[in-house]
Amino acid sequence: MNMNTPVFVLNTNAKRENQKEAQQGIFLAVKAVASIIKTCLGPKAMLKMILDPMGTTVVTNDGNAILREIDVTHPAAKSIIELSRAQDENVGDGTTTVVILAAEVLSSSEIFIEKKIHPHYIIKAFRMALDDAIQVVDQYSIKVDLKNRVEVLNVIQSSIGTKFISKWGDLMCNLALDAVQTVHIQEADGRTEIDLKRYARIEKIPGGDITDCRVIKGVILNKDVTHPKMRRMIKNPRIILLDCALEYKKGESDTMVDITNEDDFTQLLKIEEEYVQRICNDIIKLKPDLVLTEKGVSDLAQHFFVKKGITCLRRLKKTDNNRIARISGATIVSRTDELQESDVGTECGLYEVRKIGDEYFSFLEECKNPKACTVLIRGASKDILNEIERNLTDAMNVARNIVLDPRLVPGGGAIEMAISQALSEKSKSVEGLYQLPYRALAQSLEIIPKILAQNCGANTIKVLTELRAKHATNPQENYTYGIDGDKGTIVDMKQLGIWDAHAVKVQTLKTAIESSVSMLRVDLIASAQSKKQ
Amino acid sequence: MSSNKVLNIDGERISGQDVRNQNVTAVAAISNIVKTSLGPIGLDKMLVDNIGDVTITNDGATILKLLEVEHPAAKVLVQLADLQDQEVGDGTTSVVILAAELLKRANELVQRKIHPTVIISGYRIACTEAIKYINDCLSVKVETLPKDYIINIARTSMSSKIIGDDSEFFSKMVVEAMNRVKTIDYKGDVKYPINAVNILKAHGKSAKESVLVEGYALNCTVASEGMPKKITNAKIAFLDFNLQKTKMKLGQKVVVTNVNDLEAIRDRENDIVKERIQLILASGANVILTTKGIDDLCLKYFVEAGAMAVRRCKKEDLKRIAKACGGSVHVTLSNLEGEESFDPTTLGTCEEVVQERIADDELILVKNSNKKSASIILRGAGSVMLDEMERSIHDSLCIVKRTLESGSIVPGGGAVESGLSIYLDNFAATMGSRKQLAISEFAESLLIIPKQLAVNAALDATDLVAKLRSYHHVAQTDQTKKSYSYSGLDLYNGKVKNNIEAGVLEPSIAKIKCIKFATEAAITILRIDDMITLNPKEQQQDDGHGH
Repeated sequence: MNMNTPVFVLNTNAKRENQKEAQQGIFLAVKAVASIIKTCLGPKAMLKMILDPMGTTVVTNDGNAILREIDVTHPAAKSIIELSRAQDENVGDGTTTVVILAAEVLSSSEIFIEKKIHPHYIIKAFRMALDDAIQVVDQYSIKVDLKNRVEVLNVIQSSIGTKFISKWGDLMCNLALDAVQTVHIQEADGRTEIDLKRYARIEKIPGGDITDCRVIKGVILNKDVTHPKMRRMIKNPRIILLDCALEYKKGESDTMVDITNEDDFTQLLKIEEEYVQRICNDIIKLKPDLVLTEKGVSDLAQHFFVKKGITCLRRLKKTDNNRIARISGATIVSRTDELQESDVGTECGLYEVRKIGDEYFSFLEECKNPKACTVLIRGASKDILNEIERNLTDAMNVARNIVLDPRLVPGGGAIEMAISQALSEKSKSVEGLYQLPYRALAQSLEIIPKILAQNCGANTIKVLTELRAKHATNPQENYTYGIDGDKGTIVDMKQLGIWDAHAVKVQTLKTAIESSVSMLRVDLIASAQSKKQ
Repeated sequence: MSSNKVLNIDGERISGQDVRNQNVTAVAAISNIVKTSLGPIGLDKMLVDNIGDVTITNDGATILKLLEVEHPAAKVLVQLADLQDQEVGDGTTSVVILAAELLKRANELVQRKIHPTVIISGYRIACTEAIKYINDCLSVKVETLPKDYIINIARTSMSSKIIGDDSEFFSKMVVEAMNRVKTIDYKGDVKYPINAVNILKAHGKSAKESVLVEGYALNCTVASEGMPKKITNAKIAFLDFNLQKTKMKLGQKVVVTNVNDLEAIRDRENDIVKERIQLILASGANVILTTKGIDDLCLKYFVEAGAMAVRRCKKEDLKRIAKACGGSVHVTLSNLEGEESFDPTTLGTCEEVVQERIADDELILVKNSNKKSASIILRGAGSVMLDEMERSIHDSLCIVKRTLESGSIVPGGGAVESGLSIYLDNFAATMGSRKQLAISEFAESLLIIPKQLAVNAALDATDLVAKLRSYHHVAQTDQTKKSYSYSGLDLYNGKVKNNIEAGVLEPSIAKIKCIKFATEAAITILRIDDMITLNPKEQQQDDGHGH
């Protein structure tokens, strides 16, 4: 037999990692990702400064924001990073926790893989544990009264506590809650709509002090009036919103005019002027005080408006226009000859142009029924503003989660410890090969209180064992005990008032465990087809 | 090589036993890659492409498609898996493993100086006999089974996949989706179009929170915020043209001599689209779906009419919704008289159209409780996971469709293969020629499936397969123990059990196709006794001067 000549079945350049290598690679990669953001958890979290290829810097402790910027090559690391994105999209908080937890859950299975236990058993055990864990979270969750502002604020506070803005915690919590309550719409058929993305805008203006941040029940536009003689302050303005140009625009079709005599030329110019005048008259007929359009406004049109004392703003963003439509009750009109009285918005209380720093801003506020808002944030530099924005978005998401699902669980690692305790107890009744991985998962949940303790420089082993003992002695009573992330001591979260939204915790558990399961199922990594050069 | 010199081939030539050995090695390499993903306890493969995109999958066809296979014989196997995927939709891994095993054994026979043509005809006979035996003795008509058999089918097909642990949940979903899209065509045949089940993916939540929507889910949002987000008793207009300011087709020019005419053209441009919209709205439509764009200028008319307009829907989505709601798609509004009109009978109706927020995205759901459409919205931790879930659901849908359409099933878990193996062994003994050897090798090859299943589950394969064979032997010799022929492996407990009762089922058609395709592929490769690889032609070097 001639077996000396090697047979190339696969592309020789393609890399292939088999069972053991692949699994070890995954464990290493995932741990590496987790170790990057480990120190971003808890009130004593540190910031990371990331320099992206374009040369801009990002300073943040938001798990998702950090991981988004980091360039990783290992496929497993990539999919772990994606978790934090999924978490961010769904609940907007707990992005760091989910990655740390997923990594810990995965590494807790490492010893079993080494012992040659088939991943199938581990996966099954993890799934069982996940179902049980969610039951425990449900059991330990308490309802919060949405009308009790202090309680809700407390929850947001504990989310913000870990962030850069924690110093101005009270202020930020109020901002977040106000914003969410403004855009919260309870529809008649029971549907709740909280559309933060569209209707709660965050406007960042460098300069000033963080304490100057506030929620404007209306809209801020980074614009000044188009003509200096227009009014800069109008009470109860009548608003018209347009998305057409107030200038002469040629038609879409390719048209050409052959002008043979001079009169025709002047006629042509006159038509253009008349057209502008006509559309302006259409608008002026309705006696508006404020005309906003998404497109341009010609000098001639401005002239007509100034004469009638109408203030005009041009080149609005579509999203801004929508928001103004929502606060003022106006309809966006695309043809001036179709303007009706019902299209005019009258619900806005005040229009004013204010100079902040070096720029002019138009404020539309004091609305009767604001369903959209703008959070104005001020701060020393762009980096700080960006970080505040990220934190505030998290806070608003927390507020939204609570409004949608008003259930809370104790924070500060308390609930993780409680789940860990309950699952460890239950693991004793789990039969067969499933028992060990089940228990390992239970213990891996302790990573959260552990890192909390670590990040504030406490004696991790001592604090953790003490906490475990506390939970073990009376799980029904002591489930609220967790780590005080500032002092590194064990406290009752009821007294400290640190609560997390139920939805966030459940989502964290689900995402972390399900993704670990999908990683565990992998036994080969191969680089796939590459395009022919 | 000397032959090259004689023939003057610019390349390499391998022939005879060398090429056979090489082919078998190549095919075995392919089979080795996929074989650990067979069965309920199989594992997944992670594939990374050159831009770093990750795919995690358990599906044989997908793995092979993504691997860069270079060897020509191995490519045959890749195509084989692809064929199985298209024809049946599942069993892609087993077909590859089986083909590789058939080839390996054939090669051993050739080395024992049996001519390949004898082996080929032996394999052909064995294959025909096997299919006959499946149809006659192993298949069970679905009518004789308890009602939930179809759920078990779905569950068996997804047991090896990422959603295997939630198979209870997903199998019900798949079966319900398939039942919703059941259609009876003009010939009276019952069809289950897979395409009518729309699968959407959304990040977040957990796999178990995936939902089946009674109706069609569209990955679009309403065109303007001012539009209603929910319309009950919707009348839907399906458009396949732009609602924009009309403009002349490219290259057409209008030359006007009177300047006032220019203005008239401009006005007309605006009015044409306005009239069209009014025509549509006048017909009573309150939901307008179009594959093309809607100009912002036109949105106001819809907002004022309280209608919902959705732009940039996918064309195939639109067609399916139109079919499900009983409407038809308009390519233009012009009628035969050259006028523009909109016929209200072309509107589709449905109970509710609603825009819902899922994760960070919005979806339009066209809800219809009794019509022929279904959508599955998958939830899961990340996009890699969701992609794999989608593939698994798709495989399951295919299997359910095949079963419902063909109406006969076989027990899974290696039952068919071991039954066939015993039967063919006995059958081989009746053949008085060299083909006997080939047939008994064929019988032996089939056992690779139960063996591999047992190996993947970390069980004692030799012991279990021996046990399994003994059951089937009894079934075929003792008339009173017929039901033993349904014995297959229980991989969770490492036992042999009656898989029809246990609900480990596969459609017969999938098994038959699998054996047929594998045999064909093995024969194709076996017939090769010479391989000539030509060197790639030297590319003419461009000297960069452009001569």
